Amino acid sequence: MPSRRRAVAPRFTMTRELTLVAVTVGLTVIVGLLNHDFVGAQNLRFMLLNSVVLSLVALGQTLVIAMRGIDLSVAPILGLAAMVCGLLAQTHGLSLAVALPLALCIGLVLGTINGVLVATMDIPPIVVTLGTYSLYSGLTFLYSDGTQVDAVPPTFAAFGNGRLFGIVPLPTPVVVLLVVLALCWYLLRHTGFGRAVLAVGNNAAAAYAAGLPVTWVRIRVYALSGTLAAFAGLMFLCYTGSATVTAGTGDHIELQSIAVSLIGGTAIAGGRGNLIGTVLGSLFLSVVLTALVFLHVPPIWYSAGEGLMILAAVQAGFGRRGARA
Amino acid sequence: MSALSDIGTPAATDAPMGRRRRRFLSMGGWELSLLVLLVVVTTGFGLVVPGFFDDVSGFLAMSSNFLPFGIVALGLSLVIFTGGIDLSVGATASLAAVVAAQLWATMGLNIWVASLLGLAMGGVLGAINAAVIVFLRIEPLIATLATSFIYTSAAVAVAGDSPPSGFPDAFNNMGSGALALGSFQFPYQLLLFIPLAVIFWLLVGRSAFGRKLVTVGYNSEAARYSGIRVPRVLAAAYVISGMMAALAGLVLSAYYSAARADMGDVLLLTTIAMVVLGGVSIFGGEGSMGGVIVAVLLLGLLRQGMLIAGFSDMVTSMLTGAILIGSIAIRNVFSTRVGGFGKRLLAFIRRPAAAGPDTNRHDAP
Amino acid sequence: MITARRMLVLAATATLAMASVVSAQTVDTSKRIKVAMVPKLVGLSVFKANQQGAEAAAKTLNIDFLYTGPVTASAQGQVDVFNSLIARKFDVITTTSNNPTQLAPALKRAMKQGIKVVSYDSDVAPDARDFFIQNTEYPAFGKALVDSVAKYIPADSEVAILSSTKDATIQNEWINALTAYMKTAYPKMKIVTTEYGQSDPSKSLTAGLNILQAHPNVAAIIAPDGASEVGAAAAVQKLGRTGKVFVTGCSNPDAIRQYVKAGVIKASPLWDEVKEGQLVMHVARLAANNALKPNDTFSVPGLGSYTVKDKVIIFSEPLIFTAENVDQYKF
Repeated sequence: MPSRRRAVAPRFTMTRELTLVAVTVGLTVIVGLLNHDFVGAQNLRFMLLNSVVLSLVALGQTLVIAMRGIDLSVAPILGLAAMVCGLLAQTHGLSLAVALPLALCIGLVLGTINGVLVATMDIPPIVVTLGTYSLYSGLTFLYSDGTQVDAVPPTFAAFGNGRLFGIVPLPTPVVVLLVVLALCWYLLRHTGFGRAVLAVGNNAAAAYAAGLPVTWVRIRVYALSGTLAAFAGLMFLCYTGSATVTAGTGDHIELQSIAVSLIGGTAIAGGRGNLIGTVLGSLFLSVVLTALVFLHVPPIWYSAGEGLMILAAVQAGFGRRGARA
Repeated sequence: MSALSDIGTPAATDAPMGRRRRRFLSMGGWELSLLVLLVVVTTGFGLVVPGFFDDVSGFLAMSSNFLPFGIVALGLSLVIFTGGIDLSVGATASLAAVVAAQLWATMGLNIWVASLLGLAMGGVLGAINAAVIVFLRIEPLIATLATSFIYTSAAVAVAGDSPPSGFPDAFNNMGSGALALGSFQFPYQLLLFIPLAVIFWLLVGRSAFGRKLVTVGYNSEAARYSGIRVPRVLAAAYVISGMMAALAGLVLSAYYSAARADMGDVLLLTTIAMVVLGGVSIFGGEGSMGGVIVAVLLLGLLRQGMLIAGFSDMVTSMLTGAILIGSIAIRNVFSTRVGGFGKRLLAFIRRPAAAGPDTNRHDAP
Repeated sequence: MITARRMLVLAATATLAMASVVSAQTVDTSKRIKVAMVPKLVGLSVFKANQQGAEAAAKTLNIDFLYTGPVTASAQGQVDVFNSLIARKFDVITTTSNNPTQLAPALKRAMKQGIKVVSYDSDVAPDARDFFIQNTEYPAFGKALVDSVAKYIPADSEVAILSSTKDATIQNEWINALTAYMKTAYPKMKIVTTEYGQSDPSKSLTAGLNILQAHPNVAAIIAPDGASEVGAAAAVQKLGRTGKVFVTGCSNPDAIRQYVKAGVIKASPLWDEVKEGQLVMHVARLAANNALKPNDTFSVPGLGSYTVKDKVIIFSEPLIFTAENVDQYKF
């Protein structure tokens, strides 16, 4: 059994990324020919922006999946962070400088709880995060007391929509995403921790036998996933300017993040994580959904279009299963 | 590989005597603990919460509120036994139900004929899932996520602006009616669920198909080398799962006397929780149907009891989540079967290396 | 259980004193009753505003008030809550439904047990409730929605609709009403697309952005749903089309205040949700007393007089929020 999982040569992951870029650009060009507004600067900017929150969540999810885990609780963690920061900002004038560390702390704590349960109690990750999914959404309800966030202070809105220092040519969230991506990529590709994540995903027993701190690695990855989800929650709040109790869970962002991770070339069986692919996958999804609108597809078929495109993207490359069946 | 000596795993099947003994032991293990918990929960609520157990008929009637989840859980278990997952059960339930309802409402078909076609529709949807998984070789998780999106669109399209409602009373009875035996009322849903539960229990525990299912889930390569037609087994599992989801959708539309395109959405997460709590390993190849059936009753009655006791929906969901984690944690601590502390300890005492490949099996999603 | 009962008795005797003061009104409040308010889901400000009004009214009407609902906007969640309320022997259930058909059997079960059912906001099937409190009449609200944008755009403009879901009863009624009114009052206006935001703020925002990008000539978005109006307004602001595209809908004033002040929303109809909550409790009390007939009139101190017609009570005319009055309302 363990023999069927192998580290994959970088050549393949590069192909995966190129495929995604080609498919995304191709789709953009085709729809752009049919409707010129699709390739207008403004629409391109929004297709980028619309993918940021999902990308942030999916980066954490990718690390978890690469470690042969899964994290369903990212959705309520996103919602709770957005709700707590949003309500505090709305009623007590919480500043962004405080909201940022607060959100990260929330994610860190909740993610660590997931990690501890998975790593020390040996409970399957899907069970743990299904359970904490209910628990964390409950916390959001308790905290919100049935209200919602309607407006955020100008600094929040500027962080979610403006440009960094007013001069950088890209919107702030996109810059932030690129920075986070770079950090995660470095972490996974160029640190001992990253190699440990892949080793655990590849064969936990072998990793343990090789002397890697498997339990500790697992806790840290879930903590990281939680932190990124909470950060995405803050970004969601700043970008949309609102938050309700169903933020995150209403979109099923947990399933979306798994989908784009797999589209991006991360293996569900673990041992392989493609962070750049994940971000490209999320951008691809954003382009697909916008294209459906520009092609005047009736709204009821958006969901089907998304499903078909997920199948096509996964089929096109390495998201599929290995040697099973 | 100590797991190979466990019940329900392939190694156990080549020693009939041993199998019987171990199966008995298994009923004395996790399943029995769940059963004890079920009795404790039921009597506890019955004693403390007024309105939970006023009379037998009223108590049984409560089952109509959660048995559709149980019906889905039976089918989904088969898929999870194979090491797969079916995220499309909710969308399948909705689509089959609205298709049947529209056949009745717009084509004037008899409601039972329409229901049979709905059931067949569920089988077809399951077959599509299987085809995507087997022929396109896409992971079940992502395959059924994608098909669930497609089925959802189709359900919304079929349902239209004002989905059908107000079915004949005979049909509605299947969801909310009860068979009157004198003053005693026996809900039709329970009447439907009991034989299904027995059939699935026999199917998994006593039939060749059940053994193949578990073998595929335990190690599909080994299954293939031992001559099992893996694609056929997978197809059967997904088709049955689709049909059971469709059946649940039909029962729900009878329960509500209405069909809606979003009706099945609530089924998925609760049903997975039921299967997992029932002791089926999410990685496939392990578990028993008996556990799932008890878990269905346990989670269902627990939720009903808590709601009647006056807990809000939110608190009820939170506690259900906590119980899910807690019970699996407790099982792992005490079990020698799933790589828990107890097992590690035993493995360490007996032969330190034994825990190796097995621990690996249990850390996948 | 015993202590709980004892507390109920204590509470009942304590409130008897208060009840005797209130009984100066026409409503008989001598018997303490249990009334539940079940919104589509807990966690939206508009329902919270209903609760505010209801809770205040419940105190004066000798009502044991419970606000409870599902955590997701699903019929299954509401039915579970109804079943528990039936088992707990509530006197009245008041609810706004996630959809009209699915809740009917459970509510009929409740009525069979002698529980009164009062629906408000979004109705259930007529034979599954005793009374329905309709926010406003559909044609009046459709007219208010169209007028809220039509005044500010050319008569031959393109208009888009951003609704909640395809089968949302109340939204579809409003869309029918506004389409009919638009045909007669503004015959040259054209509805170019109808999108759905699933009552979710982020999906509504994306849908709003998509509408504006894919239909660049759209001059107004009518979004008759709490979340979608906010999403549409945010989309207009993000694309810098303020002053060129106008939005209206039916969100609560707290949610739209910033957009009203920014000029994205010139006018937005709704009704006073707090007062509606009060009316719901009054009707619940009257229903429990069997003091209300299917065709009847009654008056509520502080709210005015109401007519019951075929078990339906119209709550009010649309209340239009504009930059001038939006700050007077906090909910």
